[in-house]
Amino acid sequence: MSVGLAMLQSLLGRARRRVASALWAEPLEHLRSIPFRDAGHGYDVFGYEPLHAALSLSLLERLHRYWFRVQSHGTEHVPRQGPALLVGNHAGTLPFDAMMVWTDVILQCRRLPRAVADYFVPSLPYVSTMYARSGVVGGSAGNVRALLEAGELLLIFPEGVPGIVKPFRERYRLREFRVGHAELAIRHQAPVVPVGIVGAEEQMPQVARLPVRMSSLPYVPIPLTPLPLPVRYHIHYGEPLCLHEGLRPEDADDPEVVHRASERVRHAVQALVDKGLRLRKGVFR
Amino acid sequence: MNERPEWRSPRGVLVLGASTPVGARLCRRLLEDRALRAVMAVGLEPLERAGLPEDPRLSYHRVDLTRARPVHDLLFGTARDLGVDVMVHLALHRANDFGDRVHVQNVESLRWLLSLSERHPTLRRLVFRSHAEVYRVERGLPSLITEDHPVDLSADAPQWVRDRVEADLLACSRMGMMSGLELTVLRCAEVLAPNEGSQLHDYLSAPVCLRSAGFDPMLNVLTREDATEALRLAVYAGGLQGLFNIPGADTLPLSTCIRLSGRLEVPVPGPLLAPIYEARRWLQGTQFSYRINRGRFHFAAVLDGTQARQGLGYEPQHRVDWPPGR
Repeated sequence: MSVGLAMLQSLLGRARRRVASALWAEPLEHLRSIPFRDAGHGYDVFGYEPLHAALSLSLLERLHRYWFRVQSHGTEHVPRQGPALLVGNHAGTLPFDAMMVWTDVILQCRRLPRAVADYFVPSLPYVSTMYARSGVVGGSAGNVRALLEAGELLLIFPEGVPGIVKPFRERYRLREFRVGHAELAIRHQAPVVPVGIVGAEEQMPQVARLPVRMSSLPYVPIPLTPLPLPVRYHIHYGEPLCLHEGLRPEDADDPEVVHRASERVRHAVQALVDKGLRLRKGVFR
Repeated sequence: MNERPEWRSPRGVLVLGASTPVGARLCRRLLEDRALRAVMAVGLEPLERAGLPEDPRLSYHRVDLTRARPVHDLLFGTARDLGVDVMVHLALHRANDFGDRVHVQNVESLRWLLSLSERHPTLRRLVFRSHAEVYRVERGLPSLITEDHPVDLSADAPQWVRDRVEADLLACSRMGMMSGLELTVLRCAEVLAPNEGSQLHDYLSAPVCLRSAGFDPMLNVLTREDATEALRLAVYAGGLQGLFNIPGADTLPLSTCIRLSGRLEVPVPGPLLAPIYEARRWLQGTQFSYRINRGRFHFAAVLDGTQARQGLGYEPQHRVDWPPGR
């Protein structure tokens, strides 16, 4: 009986894939035009798979176009090939900012940004699988090193959790950057594209957060609104910073050099954020 | 990894664990080299069950590796007389058993072998087949596992894992420290085939496969053909010492693995899996232990074979013929 059920499950799975391919034909075609390293069976070693990513893209594209009405500036600064890092500011209680940059880069630049998630994300059920299928990787040094060596584009938020949980009154004031991105950029001689994201800080003002001890999450956020507010996102991509200029890869071991490089990136991101705030006409416009 | 000095082809090869499917295949592959003078196959099973080819250069020896004296006599008797210069060790206990005897076979026998090999007059090279299961798999660690990835030294690891880690570290600790003896350790991905001690194969042999709801990690599995080829390359890689990951050609999510095996996949809450599979083990005498596999049933763990490609020239070529074990 279980053999019959297994066959039925397999058939349903195949039918589901076929229907999904038809329903999301356009995003799927778009994603298939972006090369990825198939490790066999249609997945890369980190679990990225175009069909599942197409589902994510089709949902996020709607958010991108109709809910957050994203306006992007300077997409020509995103390298179309080779290893590079997109480094942005992080805020908004839930990581819609990362999703919007991910969607924006795929749509505008035809590149798949590999978002680097915090260490706890791979232990979240369902979320971890959905993220992995969309190209997100766990934030370990080994993973990002492997991706840069493979010539991929990384999307990193060096503020991490302290950035996304900062109080509303401190919006658009960047938290201290972790320095890993600068070390990677120097070691792998990869350009860093600073990204200033304006809008995310107002999408879900946080009223409280509950510490949880039994879960892999650092806390449970209590936002003011159950859904993100339809703020308008402005994403500003800055000119690539070549942190490695005049440096050797082994200089990535020098804490002073790395700290300076990281500060340079932080200032570039802050400048883009400030520019975005100056240029926008209002939170929802 | 050391640079390769001048090294000639092996004259004779001793294969411990030759009655395992990979061991028998390796003997067959080695005998294809007409320049090789002798292949000594060592196993515990009777010759007729070992599945070895007939060849005048092949001799079969039934030796219990848990007893030091027969091992000594084998090495300093027939092996010395035949001028055996390479030893391949694949004789770890495959079943998920526990106890002193299993530990002696997995760890203590290797300790004797290393000690004996160091003063052996003809042996120059030892190839030890280790396992990818020695690596720790948990959140925060890379999904792509390189040779410097942390090993599983957790206090609650089952003996199956502990023994493998201890044997692996024992071999690695002697690498480059033994005069006149080269050591190569191959950390092979799981060989998804019957009689290989594969936990995953046992898991997939059940008609219904339970997995942790919400998690669908990436796995990498190896075929017997590729495992054999990696061992053969290591036998011939004279002058090269080191630790090498041996990945397979199949990298896929657990759910796809279950589907390709023609099994029914049922996601259940993670905490239920350990008691269910422990009960199955006790009631049906099966091998799969969720405790051994908890990490890789949640987090991706794929071996990075760069070092093996560069050092040994190994590249996985054979995909699993799904469903495995036909």
